[in-house]
Formats: sequence, C-alpha cells, structure tokens
Amino acid sequence: MANRDASAIRRRRQAVSRRTFLRGASAAAGSAALAGLAGLPLARKATAADKPVEIVFMHIWGTPPGEKAADIKHPSTLLIEAFNARNTGVTVRGETPSGDYYATLSKAQAQMAAGKPPALVSTPWSNINFAVQGLQVVPLEKLGGNELQQVLANYKEQVLPLVTLNKQTVGLPLAFSCPVMYYNNDIMKQAGVDPAQLFKDWASFKTLGAKVRAVTGNPILGLGNNADWEAQSIIQCNGGRVLDDNAKPVWDSPEAIAAMATIADINKAGLYLQSTTTESNAAFIGGSLAIWMGSIASLGGLSKQVKFDLRTAPFPVFAGKPRKMSSGGSFIGCYARDKDQQRGAWEFLKFVASKEGTDIWLKTGYLNSTKYDAPVLPNQDAAYIELKDGLTRESPWPGARGAEIQKIWGTYVSRIWAGDISAEEGCKQAKQDVTPLLPKT
Amino acid sequence: MTRAGVATAVEDHAAPEMDGGPGARKGVQPAGGRRRTWSRYRFWETATPYVFVAPVLVIVGVFVYWPLLYSTYLAFFDWNFVAPTKEYVGFDNFVRLAHDPRFHRALWGTLIYIVALVPAQVFLPLGLAVLLWPIRRSRAQAVYRATLFSPTVISFSVAALLWLWIFNPLQGILNKAIVEFGFAKVSWLSNPNTAIWCVIVVSIWKTIGFNLLLYLAALEAVPNDYIEAASLDGASGWQMFRLIRFPLITPTFFFVLVTTIISVNDEVFGAINVMTDGGPFDRSTNIVYYLYEQGFRNFQIGSASAVSLLIFAGTAALTWVQFRFVERHVHYG
Repeated sequence: MANRDASAIRRRRQAVSRRTFLRGASAAAGSAALAGLAGLPLARKATAADKPVEIVFMHIWGTPPGEKAADIKHPSTLLIEAFNARNTGVTVRGETPSGDYYATLSKAQAQMAAGKPPALVSTPWSNINFAVQGLQVVPLEKLGGNELQQVLANYKEQVLPLVTLNKQTVGLPLAFSCPVMYYNNDIMKQAGVDPAQLFKDWASFKTLGAKVRAVTGNPILGLGNNADWEAQSIIQCNGGRVLDDNAKPVWDSPEAIAAMATIADINKAGLYLQSTTTESNAAFIGGSLAIWMGSIASLGGLSKQVKFDLRTAPFPVFAGKPRKMSSGGSFIGCYARDKDQQRGAWEFLKFVASKEGTDIWLKTGYLNSTKYDAPVLPNQDAAYIELKDGLTRESPWPGARGAEIQKIWGTYVSRIWAGDISAEEGCKQAKQDVTPLLPKT
Repeated sequence: MTRAGVATAVEDHAAPEMDGGPGARKGVQPAGGRRRTWSRYRFWETATPYVFVAPVLVIVGVFVYWPLLYSTYLAFFDWNFVAPTKEYVGFDNFVRLAHDPRFHRALWGTLIYIVALVPAQVFLPLGLAVLLWPIRRSRAQAVYRATLFSPTVISFSVAALLWLWIFNPLQGILNKAIVEFGFAKVSWLSNPNTAIWCVIVVSIWKTIGFNLLLYLAALEAVPNDYIEAASLDGASGWQMFRLIRFPLITPTFFFVLVTTIISVNDEVFGAINVMTDGGPFDRSTNIVYYLYEQGFRNFQIGSASAVSLLIFAGTAALTWVQFRFVERHVHYG
C-alpha cells in the first residue's frame, strides 16, 4: 500500500496539465522557428564565403525549335558553357522556366519576392520601365564601374539608347530582333508573283496577294507575335506613333488609324488569317500559309522545320514613306542584391559582350547589336535592311500597369485587324480604356 | 482503496470530459480539490493526437489559411512583391475591378462556363455510367472506362496541343472534315463566337472520366436486394433508376455537384492558357484566368488578390446555397 501511495505521488509530480502541455509545445515551436530564422542567413553567408560564386541566368531559350535537346544545344547554353570553361571562379547556371518572356519575368519576380533573386534575367525591351520601377534592376554603372564604358564601346550607337533610361544603362543588349516577312517561295513561284513586288508596299501586297491566295485557297498572311509589336512597326511606317516621348498613347492619330485600317482591309480581302500565333506558325510550317509575320529570331528554328524554299523580306512600306520598324527582344538585366552575385553577374556580362560571346550568340539568328564583324546568316539580310533603315525602341509601356496597357492595346489591335471594330473607333476606345491606367505624373 | 487510489480512479473517468466537459459542469473534482492532472501515460495519450494532426494543421495553415489571410491583406495595397514599399490604396483595387471592362468580360465568361460545364460534367457522366452499368462484368466496359478516363490523366498542355491540331484553321482535321461536306473553313479558336465553345468541349472531354468513375463506384454500392425486389414487382428500368438507384447514389451526386461547381473554372484554366490565351478579344477568358493575368502577367498583386477574394466569396456562397437547398434531398442511408 505504501508503495502504491509513493507511486501515485510520483505520478502526480510528473504530471502535466493540458494547458501546460500546449504552452510548452508552443514555446518550443516558437523557439525553433526563431532559431531557424536567425540561423539560416548566417549559415548561408558562411557557405557563400567558402564557395565560388554561382549565379543564375534565367532566360527563355530552351531547345531550338525542330531540334532534340540531346542533339543540339541552344547558343545560350553554349554561351554559358564557354564562360564556365574559363574557370573564372564564377559559375553560371542557366534556367529556362518558360519560352515566354512574361512567364519568365513572373518566375523571376517570384524568386525576388522569396529573397532569392536570379542574378540575371532576359528582360523584354517593352518591360524596361517595369524592370526599373517595379523590379529595381541594378544599373550597369553600379556593376561595371570603370570597365563599363570599355564594354559598351563594343555596341552600335543605335542600340545603346534602347537600354538607357534616365541616363542609366539598365542592362546589356542581347536578343536584338525585328519583325520580318517569312514567305514560302514555292507558293510564290506557283502564283507567278515576284516577292520583291509583293512586299514593295501595302497597296501592291493587297493587289498581288489575291494571286497568291488563288494558289492555296487560304488567307496568305499570318501573325507570329503579339499583335501590338507588329502594329507598332506598321503605324510607324505610316508616320504615326504608338507612344509619344512621354510614353502617352498617341495611337489615335490619323496616320496610326490609317495604318491599322490597312491590315483590316487586307483582312476584308480575305488575305489575313485570323488565328492564334501557334496556329499560324503551324500552318506556315505545314505549307498551308504563304506568309508569316514573325521575329527574325525565329529564323533558325523555321529553317530547320520547313520543307519548302524559305525566304524572308522586309516589311512592306506605305508608298512614299520611309520604313521605320520597331526593334524587339530582350536585354540582360541584373537583379542580384548580393555583392558577390553582382560581381559574378558582371563577369558573365563582360563575356557576353566579348567577341567570343557575340560569335556564339549570333548563331541564334538575332541581329548583331555589336560592332564586331559577324557573318550574315542566310535569309537574315531582310532584318539588316530594316536595321539600316532605322529601328526604334519597342514601346516602353509606362508605369506599374504597363503590361496591362500593352494587353489592352494588343486586344484592340486584334479586333481592328479582324474587323470586329473599325480602326478609328478601336484606336479611340483603346486610348480611353488605358487612360485610367497611365501613371498620374 | 486509499484516497489516492480513489482520486486516480476519478481522474481516469473524468479525463475525457475536462475543460468544460460534462464532468466539469457537474463539479466532478479530484479528491482533495486539487487541480486535475495527468500521469506520464496521460501525457502521451494527450500529445499523440496533436502529433498526428500537426502535419496536416501546418500544411493547411501554410498553404490555405495563411495565403487567404495574406491575400486579404494584399487586396488593399498596390504592390508587386518586390518593390520596397507597399502603397495602401484602400478599396481602390475593388473599385477598379468594378469599372474594368475586361473583368466584366471575365465574369460573363465565368457564367457561361458554369452554365455549360456544370450540367455537362454532372449529368453526362451520370448518363454514361448508367449506360455502362449493365455491361459491368464484360471486358467492353473496361475498354470504355479506360477510353473515357484516359484524358483525365493526360496533362492539359499535352491534351491542348492535340486539340490545337484538330482546330487548326488551315490544316486541322475538323476543318478538313467540314470542307468535305461543303462548308467553309472556320477559325475555331480565333472566332469570338466559337472559341469559348472549343474550350468547353475540351474541358468536358478532359474531365468527364473522373466523375464517371465516381458514379460507377456509387452504382456498384447499391444493394442488389432492392433491385431484385423492384424487378420482381415489375419496375421498369427507368423506375428502378429514378426510385432506387438515383436516390441511393445521391451522396455521390451531391459530392460531384459541389466539387464541380467549385472547380469548374479552375479546370478550364489549362485549356484557356494553352489554346486561346483568353482570346480572341477576351471572349474565352474567365475570372481565374483574369486573376492569373493580373498577378503573373501584369504584375498587379493587389488587384489579383482582390479578384481572389471575390472568387473565394462567390465559391463559398455557391457552396452554402447547395448545402442549404440541395443537401436536404440527399439520402445518406
């Protein structure tokens, strides 16, 4: 009996109430969380100091179209491998979350929010304002210091303004492109149409286009990119503009409206294919569509995929007016906050800007934005004609809601071209719709 | 028994009803008026359920409740996750939605998807299940079941690519077929009148198999005695379905109805994203795709959070209505 009493007393001393248990458990969990939060950055710093720098270059270039990953590496991969082979103490790791610029930027944004920003991201020209205001891209002046001018001296004068905002160089020009007309020369031969005459101006395009249509029985012109990009070039070629110098929309000018009506007329004539970009690309590759408006960056992929005589031509102009196309593509922006990461990023950027880096990169089909001599690839001359005529900056959509403005305008462009709304009404309504989204200042 | 022994016995019986349980209300106290305690054995008995539940609580807390609370907070700010400062904008994000024509189109699209897809995803698989039920012992049913279920396990990206090929305006098999019958080619995914219906067809094809399996399993569970009794009484096939089978599978029917209404707009997201991008002219978009665009293409986290709250409120309201007015007709057996 005495033993049982002692046992009961001991059990009572060792006993824990439910409230005590919950308090203890909460305190332990809280302590563990605090210890974890406090300890992680320290551990990370210690690790970073001991290891060579590894940086991430997030971009959109995966396996080239028409290739298998095991067979052919994209020039972006070759660029990274060539740099890593130099053993500079900086290792670059390429990441391709998506083939779409906006999805890639969104992924980068998520990583920035998580405190692990990719050091370098291929950032579309059109998002230059967002990169500066929204994502706090690190200007090259901060990265390169005294070396910067030497690096930038390798680039063509007309390219550098594209990466300059508020007198700061926001990134390194890399993917430099412009829209061109890809066409199926076999169809042109069957139609007995001289491509030089067809693409001379939009009036002759409409006239001769009917002969091309007669061969396939299909519309002849398909769109390969976001409509607002091609629209910018067409509007500019007619003397209009999309945004003025203060990034305010001016796409409702008579010149812009007339340019937009031109494509709507081509649609009315049965020459414009209403389709998604994926569909028009598939139809062109399959030989059902005669002409495809697309970026010169698609040249490499298309050349490998088509089974017909692929050719390119510069965009038609408006009679008596100069060609004034829009550039496109992306620059490499640095988003690293850590000093070591920034140092690593600059080392890689210097390599990209070198002759060796340029030679590797230009295998993509993009335009040469540097002063280094580089061979013009077959069918690339159309883009160089446009470059010579003068390429403008892709519309730098203004403010924090720039991407939304671009989307709204792009939707109106599609509606106008498809005949869903008149050019005049569409341009004016688009301006009304985006006005509340423009920055107040 | 000693007093200590009696106290222990009382504790053991009172333990499940402590902290305001019936025992506490009745004033059952351990001997000597001391605070009720547990032994070491009791400690583990108390702790074990918490240990088992903790992972789920953590996961639900981190991935459901925390995002919900944080989204609510973010809906009142203009922020992109990266800028150093968040600008408090009050209800501006909600006011902006009320005036945004694209949001109105997304709401309209959402309504069309619900009206078209909910009946299709709830009743079509039910009809197919009833048709397949008589051949449940044959190999043919396994073939049908596999054929109808296989689209469910294919990723939307792959499935949509297949349908892109079918719908292609110049090379698609669908247009080639209708041209054979003398009709003109249609730009299925670029025509504002047809694009949304293409998305609906693909969504039905993609999701019908899962609900079909649920219904087949429910029909399997219907006791055969009832069917045999009804059969002896001369009930027709329709009567057996209407008066016996359907009432007995109403729990499954209710589950399918509730989950379909909750998930239908999520499920079409994949098809919209790959096939139409919400176009042409935002005519195939819905509220979930609008949210995605606001958050991940336009980088408007505050606006996207406001949309997510509206989706949550709408879904919660619809679910409440179903539990309030439909569940009363469910026979839980």
